Amino acid sequence: MKNTLLGLSCAAILALSSCGKDNNPGGTQTTAVDEQEVITQFVSVVGNPNYVDIQAKATLLNTSITTFLATPTDANLTAARVAWKNTRQPWEQAEGFLFGPVEDENYDPTMDSWPLNRTDVDALIGSSDVITLSYVDGLDGFSKGFHGIEYIIFGPGGTRKAADITARQKDYLKFTSQSLLNTTTALMNSWAASGDNYAAKITTAGNGSTAFKTRKELFTTIVTQMAGICEEVGTGKMAEPFTERDSTKDESSYSHNTTTDFINNIQGVLNVYTATYNGTKGTTSLSALVASKNLALDTKIKTQIQTALSSMALITPTFEKAIYDNRDKISNSQTALATLQATLEGDLTTFIQTNIKD
Amino acid sequence: MKKLSVIGALVLLVLLLAKCQKAAQISADRYDERLSGGDATVFDITSHSFGNMFPGLSGYDAEVHSLGDAAFNKIFVTAPAPINPGLGTIFNNNSCISCHHNDGIGLPTAGESNSSLLVRISIPGTDEHGGPLAAPGYGLQLQDKAVFGKTPECKVNIAYNDVIYNFPDGEAYALRTPTYTLTNLYTALSAGYMLSPRLAPPMYGLGLLEAIPESTIVAMADPNDANGDGIKGHANYVWDVATQSRKLGRFGWKANTASLLTQVAAAYNQDIGITNNIFPVENSFGQSQYDGLKDDPELADSTLNAVRFYAATLAVPARRDVTDATNKRGELLFKQGKCESCHRQTLTTGINVAFKPLSNQVIHPYTDMLVHDMGPGLADNRPDFLANGQEWRTAPLWGLGLFEKVNYPGYYLHDGRARSITEAIMWHGGEAESSKVFFSTLSKVDRDAMLSFLKSL
Repeated sequence: MKNTLLGLSCAAILALSSCGKDNNPGGTQTTAVDEQEVITQFVSVVGNPNYVDIQAKATLLNTSITTFLATPTDANLTAARVAWKNTRQPWEQAEGFLFGPVEDENYDPTMDSWPLNRTDVDALIGSSDVITLSYVDGLDGFSKGFHGIEYIIFGPGGTRKAADITARQKDYLKFTSQSLLNTTTALMNSWAASGDNYAAKITTAGNGSTAFKTRKELFTTIVTQMAGICEEVGTGKMAEPFTERDSTKDESSYSHNTTTDFINNIQGVLNVYTATYNGTKGTTSLSALVASKNLALDTKIKTQIQTALSSMALITPTFEKAIYDNRDKISNSQTALATLQATLEGDLTTFIQTNIKD
Repeated sequence: MKKLSVIGALVLLVLLLAKCQKAAQISADRYDERLSGGDATVFDITSHSFGNMFPGLSGYDAEVHSLGDAAFNKIFVTAPAPINPGLGTIFNNNSCISCHHNDGIGLPTAGESNSSLLVRISIPGTDEHGGPLAAPGYGLQLQDKAVFGKTPECKVNIAYNDVIYNFPDGEAYALRTPTYTLTNLYTALSAGYMLSPRLAPPMYGLGLLEAIPESTIVAMADPNDANGDGIKGHANYVWDVATQSRKLGRFGWKANTASLLTQVAAAYNQDIGITNNIFPVENSFGQSQYDGLKDDPELADSTLNAVRFYAATLAVPARRDVTDATNKRGELLFKQGKCESCHRQTLTTGINVAFKPLSNQVIHPYTDMLVHDMGPGLADNRPDFLANGQEWRTAPLWGLGLFEKVNYPGYYLHDGRARSITEAIMWHGGEAESSKVFFSTLSKVDRDAMLSFLKSL
């Protein structure tokens, strides 16, 4: 993690505040945006609905897999693949705010470990072990989850036919799908008011929350995670297959969904920043808060997010192929992501440290 | 570009400081209690506060650090595989990060995918270098997981016995005593074996600890208690596999590892089952789980070195609220309780002309790097080189207050038995007995002040 600028800017702020003077930079500030409302909108428009959506899509995925298992036609297999990608989308977007139970309760590695331990998955399918839900629940993350399902329904190269899927693979598929659904349900409940209500720990930041003593701490966490996913995509997930020119090192290579995964990750950053999810826009947002005090910065951030998103859309036809013959599009995306990351870690973090008072 | 902006920010910082005309704030000896890691301090209070690179690394160093970071996160899988092959065949976890969550201290469970506890094992006696004697068929560490089709060495069962105690003023606290038992043994185990559970320690500041001059550490030792203060810390001298020599032990809960390189290489080999140039033999060699593949060493030297560099260049989070009156009071009590006899606040790293970021840094680790008798309550009764069965290395306290943030809800001590800083203090015994008594007999307000101080670290 590279938070050197964060550290230095904090030091600078400490230095400033130690002067004991009023360092209000002045200018025409409006105080129209209520910080508490920004937090509430993040939770009610993005956080909770996103986790509800993942669970809803995982339910549909499980239904489509049940249908395929009952009637294993190519059409039903195709439907299951679509349902897998549809579940993948909200999950990847939720990686724009990867903190709280998803991290503390290990839900992320349980659902989305990568790489898949294909040798072990093949071996257990080839064994005489009785595959049940508790059997799959007991497997390590790297032998189940999204990529376990992906491996069965798409197959290496993404060319698997319904008739190729064996009875044992079907057993594994059935319970891996159920296990994934149960994890998405647990994740949803961890935030829900009717469940563990982590959402309340966010909305009471600086006001009795055990997770966030101050609102500044919460906003800093949110911005750190926004920057973190940019780094993970740009210098993590993209870099190794790109540098080594090896498409087997892509995350969602069976489904050729890698580029879409990346775009959804950064869409998640946009969701958090603008308090928008699936077409629903919050009444206010972090973006509005920034704009109210520094319009140029807000414009800069939104522009850089859009630049990153549109640069990734040019990675065609698939990330796996682009590694070999569309390389400049990948490196352009990496540059755009690094630029965005630097702005989030630099300008936006400084903004938070300067403007969020409590 | 990044480097330039860092320099720019530094210049700005200096200008700002200069403008304040409070030069006394950073005195000639560069002592600043906020800067726990000296120049290698970051101001970050989030759950990722243990994972920051040293500020101001060169572009090249930053690149190596990032490569090490990526390798640290890599999940290994069963060979053969196109990506990250070589896991096991027996192991404790499948990546560095799976135990060191967020580069922090882990969860005190064993055998789960997010478990961070491993158990060392040995039989009475010492090996040719004075170290623990391997248990036949098991080695020096129990691997309680295996790839599909292989048998883990055992299952580690952890049971806790919770007992409620009261401070003299009546306030209650609980201590849970763990018991470790082994079941599902894959083969017979020698009688008289000794176990030592070890929780994954946090990763930040390790390069700075490695850079403390040996002479500084040895000078703090007082093995015969010549000064009569009841504190008898001594250095652990251990066999360093990387250099094939006897050296001062610095890392691990009993300071049984001399260098970060050996620490990282041993963790790859023993914890994940990834062979490397320093430990080229599979941890299952000679056992029924051995895969017999001719794929060793499984880890490239460049990767090993990058991960070592990553571990050496993780910055230390800054102290918070240093001027807070309660924390000031707590700090005073910490000193009055003689906690600082072992948890030494300030040390200075040695001169290092080859790598300036570690050179001559005034740091606040709150450790003396020595091993001390901590009494029978904490004892593992398993000697490790010169550390006997009741001795443990003074745990550094920097970053302590962020444990609950980074690894919620936060666990403490070598096996994570303590669920709060209060419990961790009350487990102290042996040489630390009088400090513990000092704490327990404080008023509630003062105990809270001391805890508040510790949480500001």
